Amino acid sequence: MSLDAVKTAFDTNEVNLVEIAAPFEKWQDFPVSRISHHGSVCCEVAREWLSAMDFSNLNGGSVMTGPRWIRQYYNWGPTRWQIHWCEAIKQNALDCGAQASLANEVFTVRGVESYPVQLVQQYSKEATQHWSQKWDGVETSTHWINEDLIYHEGCAVVMRDENEIKIWDASAGWWINPRQFGGYGGLRALRLFSGQHDAREFV
Amino acid sequence: MKIYISGLYSGTNPQPGVGIARSLRLAYPDALLVGVEYSNRCSGIHWQDFDEIWLQRPWDELNLDAHAREIGRVLDAGAFYISAIDLEIMWLASVFPEGHPNLLTPPVEGLYQVSKPAIPAHEKLPVKIPPFVTTEISDWDLHAFCRKHDWKVWLKGPYYDAARTRNWTEFENMRNAFSSAWSTEKLFLQTHVTGYEESISFSAYKGELLHAVSMRKRDLTEMNKTWAGDVSVVPTEFYEPLCEVVKDLNWTGGAELEMVRDPDGQLWMIECNPRYPAWIHGATIAGHNMSAILVERASDVPAQKSPAVTDEFTRVVLEIPVHPEMPLPPLPEPFAGVVGHSLKHPSGLLGFANRLHGMNLNGQNGNGNGNGNGYGKLNGKELTIVPSSFMDDISDFDFEQIQTPSFLYLEKTASEHFNRAAKIAGNLSTEDVAVINAYSMKTNPDARLVQQAYEAGFLAEAISPLEVSKALEVGFKPEQIILNGPGKWWHKEHLPNEPIHAVFADSIADLQRVVAALESGELKAKIAGMRLRMPNIPSRFGIPIDTPELFGELIEAIKTLPRESGFGIHFHMASSSVGVGQWWHLFESMLKWCSSIEALAGRPIEILDIGGGWFPDDWHEGADEQFKKAVQSVGEYLPNVKQIISEPGKALAQPSMALAMRILEIQDFPNATDVVVDGSIAELPMYFFYPHRILHQNGETGSWKSLGRGKAYFLGRLCMEHDVVASHVELPETAKPGDLLVFCDAGAYDRSMSYVFGRG
Ligand SMILES: [Zn+2]
Repeated sequence: MSLDAVKTAFDTNEVNLVEIAAPFEKWQDFPVSRISHHGSVCCEVAREWLSAMDFSNLNGGSVMTGPRWIRQYYNWGPTRWQIHWCEAIKQNALDCGAQASLANEVFTVRGVESYPVQLVQQYSKEATQHWSQKWDGVETSTHWINEDLIYHEGCAVVMRDENEIKIWDASAGWWINPRQFGGYGGLRALRLFSGQHDAREFV
Repeated sequence: MKIYISGLYSGTNPQPGVGIARSLRLAYPDALLVGVEYSNRCSGIHWQDFDEIWLQRPWDELNLDAHAREIGRVLDAGAFYISAIDLEIMWLASVFPEGHPNLLTPPVEGLYQVSKPAIPAHEKLPVKIPPFVTTEISDWDLHAFCRKHDWKVWLKGPYYDAARTRNWTEFENMRNAFSSAWSTEKLFLQTHVTGYEESISFSAYKGELLHAVSMRKRDLTEMNKTWAGDVSVVPTEFYEPLCEVVKDLNWTGGAELEMVRDPDGQLWMIECNPRYPAWIHGATIAGHNMSAILVERASDVPAQKSPAVTDEFTRVVLEIPVHPEMPLPPLPEPFAGVVGHSLKHPSGLLGFANRLHGMNLNGQNGNGNGNGNGYGKLNGKELTIVPSSFMDDISDFDFEQIQTPSFLYLEKTASEHFNRAAKIAGNLSTEDVAVINAYSMKTNPDARLVQQAYEAGFLAEAISPLEVSKALEVGFKPEQIILNGPGKWWHKEHLPNEPIHAVFADSIADLQRVVAALESGELKAKIAGMRLRMPNIPSRFGIPIDTPELFGELIEAIKTLPRESGFGIHFHMASSSVGVGQWWHLFESMLKWCSSIEALAGRPIEILDIGGGWFPDDWHEGADEQFKKAVQSVGEYLPNVKQIISEPGKALAQPSMALAMRILEIQDFPNATDVVVDGSIAELPMYFFYPHRILHQNGETGSWKSLGRGKAYFLGRLCMEHDVVASHVELPETAKPGDLLVFCDAGAYDRSMSYVFGRG
């Protein structure tokens, strides 16, 4: 998979401000979330529904529009992994990994180049404590929380002129501001997946 | 150094005067800053950075000549004047046609070049202007503009004011409100651009661009005004052409280019304001003290540098002391029994705008700004074009013999439309796919129209067994009949014993009923299917698919349809209300859903029944190509489709009938004329949904005249407050009681939904 253009632009424009090694330490080997397929019609119905629904929600607008309808449709909350397509789309709430997977799928169906990204975001101890309590269930994990840092997922979307990528934060329903690093809600590190085993960290 | 700064209004839609003062205070701690205001209700007069306040009477009370002389004296004495009020800037440009070295506002020609909506100066910049149209064109063309742009349009006033108008009624109401507020018919409609708002503000002196800064809105007020933003430098690809534009316009002063960036990154320019934006102190916080740069250049007095604190700013609400010499004015008394205080713009800007109209300063005449990249023809007041076939048909009637109000069947028009539809369908048919028309009986069940449809080779679409029976009476065979809608079992004794062409279920429950009826022989149909309710568009009809559960249920239900019947899908959406672009998107969306359904249910889709609810003009103008592409898309998404049924609906019926009525009484008022007519909204229930073209017959000469906009209200005969059949219509001077009026375009739902009222 050729991501040279993406890397170049990202290296020069933005990533030089991102600290990498320390923030990702806890999640060094954390895989990016992937929704599984039963290999049968149940999961096909789910995927067809998702893509047809996305097209309807485009409302004639540009395919580069972030699919905010997904976040409007699903609350943000714990997801029990491993999850299949037919299960995922029937949830009331999905975590950031699942929402990012759905967004990544619809961007790809639209013909827009999109790749999963792992992010580390900074919040406060107060914020992460609340999340810890919410996620500390029998079948969900709080591994994504590390003091005031959290592991997060999104989509790296290649813009039309291919010299730029934007990061879609699917569970927030917005594009991550490339000019902001650190601070409450700010980005601390980013890892982009251009293929199954091809994770790259940008420094 | 003494600097006058006007425009101190500081509500949630503020003027920039206070921000300019704060920024200049940082740059020139010892300067004497004089705030200029035209109302003591503007809270900015109490701001601490002003050393003095020059409080004037509101614009509608002000002696403009005396005020101009005073400003001239102030400038001659060496003070600078920065205006932050658009209308004041226009007026100053006329007062000082040659400019003044200390007047830091742009010249007249520059103002012409940035006047909206065309903003001629945009041409050198990497921006586009959203399509717009002046409201001086006919209502018929305005309605077409709105349909074309899916009703995502804004009605805008000549200087300020914008309102989203989502349908014809809202448009009419807002047009009347704006026209009377601004005393002008020169408003415009502009399409909405979806995206993020950003601005560029610049400072210039005598055509030299001094500095520019870019701001993205990061939080908005209820009126979409800036509440927070981030500031950055202007990229070279914008800065360089901006230098040229500033030079061309010989600009002096501040400015703000208001833009929207769409999801593809394209910038659309909405406005170019001839002054600094209200967020200008946000730029200063980020290290770009725009007004200081301007004053420094004009005065040669070095400004103290303002270092960047951060590149993001936000606002808070502050309580500040009121200046004891300018105590708060009392609140006006609420009108008796009325909710809330009615506060007009405190400084009388509306009144000032009306005075400026008289001076014709806003450049809306003669600079190509009238209709720019818009749509439709700039008609004279009287001209709304009526097709010649209407006049042909109308001239055939002997009105002496007609009791008004009366519907007129325009036979030649009807025949022309039905035959054209038949021809289009024939041309669109290919070896693989037959395209055939269907006439929806409910649009207008008049036997003459049903007969036309029959003769033109249409199928008949019925929503009840009674409509089926009407179609059979006219001559349709059962195999030419399509049954759909939620009422198909009401009076089911009228259903024929022979197989009908197709039946479409309106819900899962209805589908189960259809399956049972097909299996028991209660109903026979060659094709069975269902109507889809598309997500994202409100509708009560069809089977919803907007949750995975509902979609799954639909797939399972399709599997229960008898294998002996073919399978089809029915899709109806009124393009006249959702808009033409939106309709075509829905159409493609429907094809996508169908393609998924076909694959998942394992049933090939053989028939597509597509209804448009087309406005007649949209179905004619340039539609052939679009239809051809549509048939191609059907083939690509759904290769098993053998027949496409097109239901043009009101495109055929609407022009085929008109309503004749007579004037009963005319009552003149100073600003309006009430015309009582013997027609009513009982015959024209669709009056509020789209414009009807109106003809008046001169009682003496017999000649017909198409009516434009004017000050007459046509009031129906019913004793009901809302029985107004037309408003803001021109009434010819010759008009008198007994004269005939013909309301065209009344053949669709006006006719079929008309009711009996007030006939004893
Ligand atoms: Zn499955």
